[in-house]
Amino acid sequence: MLDVITRNLPFLLAGLWTTIHLSIWTIVGGTLLGAVLGILRYVRFPVLGTASMLFIEFIRGTPLLVVLLITYFALPALLGYKTTAYNAALLGFILFTGAYIAEDFRAGLRSVRPGLIQAGLATGLTRWQVLRFVIAPQATRIVIPSLFNQYVRLLKFTSVASIIGVTELTGAALLINARDFHPVTLLGAVAVTYLVVCYALSMVGRVLYARFAVRT
Amino acid sequence: MNYRFDWTPIWEQRDLILSGLWMTIAVSLVSLAISIVIGFVVGTGGASGSRSARLGAALFVDTMRNIPLLIHMYIWYMALAFLKLPAFACAVLGLSLYSGAYVAEVVRSGIGAVRRGQMQAALATGLTRIQAFRFIIYPQALRIIAPSLASLFSQLIKDSSLASVIAVAELTYEAGAIEGQTFRTFEVYITISVLYLILVTVASQLVMLVPGARNDASSARFADA
Repeated sequence: MLDVITRNLPFLLAGLWTTIHLSIWTIVGGTLLGAVLGILRYVRFPVLGTASMLFIEFIRGTPLLVVLLITYFALPALLGYKTTAYNAALLGFILFTGAYIAEDFRAGLRSVRPGLIQAGLATGLTRWQVLRFVIAPQATRIVIPSLFNQYVRLLKFTSVASIIGVTELTGAALLINARDFHPVTLLGAVAVTYLVVCYALSMVGRVLYARFAVRT
Repeated sequence: MNYRFDWTPIWEQRDLILSGLWMTIAVSLVSLAISIVIGFVVGTGGASGSRSARLGAALFVDTMRNIPLLIHMYIWYMALAFLKLPAFACAVLGLSLYSGAYVAEVVRSGIGAVRRGQMQAALATGLTRIQAFRFIIYPQALRIIAPSLASLFSQLIKDSSLASVIAVAELTYEAGAIEGQTFRTFEVYITISVLYLILVTVASQLVMLVPGARNDASSARFADA
């Protein structure tokens, strides 16, 4: 019964690798997008601040699957470009995660006490310098746990990319299942793999949090 | 940009969209009810003094949360196909177990946030443990966790879109069907996005109707959890 795994191991590992690099690129892109959108909202940047709020609300109210269907089918049809399933999934994941991370960043920024900001301004720092040297270092610490929550959530959500035809871990398992039909073994193995990878990722978050934590 | 918008096919297919919307609401409501039950049972276990109950609750939560929802649904639909459950039941089971784990964590933290003296006082006045939870602990915890529950419930509604892959004819599924017939890709998906947005907004506002949830200062801490 387990030979369906061993026989198809290279294919499954290739799928796992796709899951991993899809996640890594999304984490990089999503965190950057989230930081930009979160700061734009936090400083109430004219027009762009409102625009990012509308974007965030729209994405947060839309299911991930629908976001992927939009980036895979609707956007290319609207703007007249061609895309691959992988790139559409990556774009969708970045937009989706970025919107959630933006809210985490904003919450982190807002948790910095106003007295510190006033003190920074009073010592003659510019507003940008206060953001860079006073607010950002403190906010980063606070934001780490929620960031890693989002990363773990994203890692699980990459399975949805299989629906638009990306052969990541879930997609690979479903393809093998279509040929060999061993759903219990295959889905069980996939579930355990996600469990291990997600658990490892949240452990990284805990270690980082402990390292950056403010000791009082 | 030479895409020509044409919304008339969407309007002509409004019956399909409405029946999908109704199915989304049905799946979400049933899963919501079950995940609340799971969440309160497991969450109370996780907050209890018994070591084995805490361990069991943590094991359940960590396992259920770290498996993608899509895999949950496929397991019920494909791996356990010999049970011959209808697709609707598979979607509900998957969603309930997955969201139930999240609700359990929220409930556990809510119970932990109610001061310990409350339980001791309740027991001292002669209430049984069950009565103490029912009348003293849960009402206070509920007030604290209402914002987190609201965001979990809106998550659940959005997650129900994954039921479309196991052929439950909910909103996303119907959108795919309409798209296949009319090729109004952009219009269809934007329409259902807006519908989801409305559903999610209404649902989270309803949760906030829990008495005292809005103006409880301590609830702010949990708002972004």
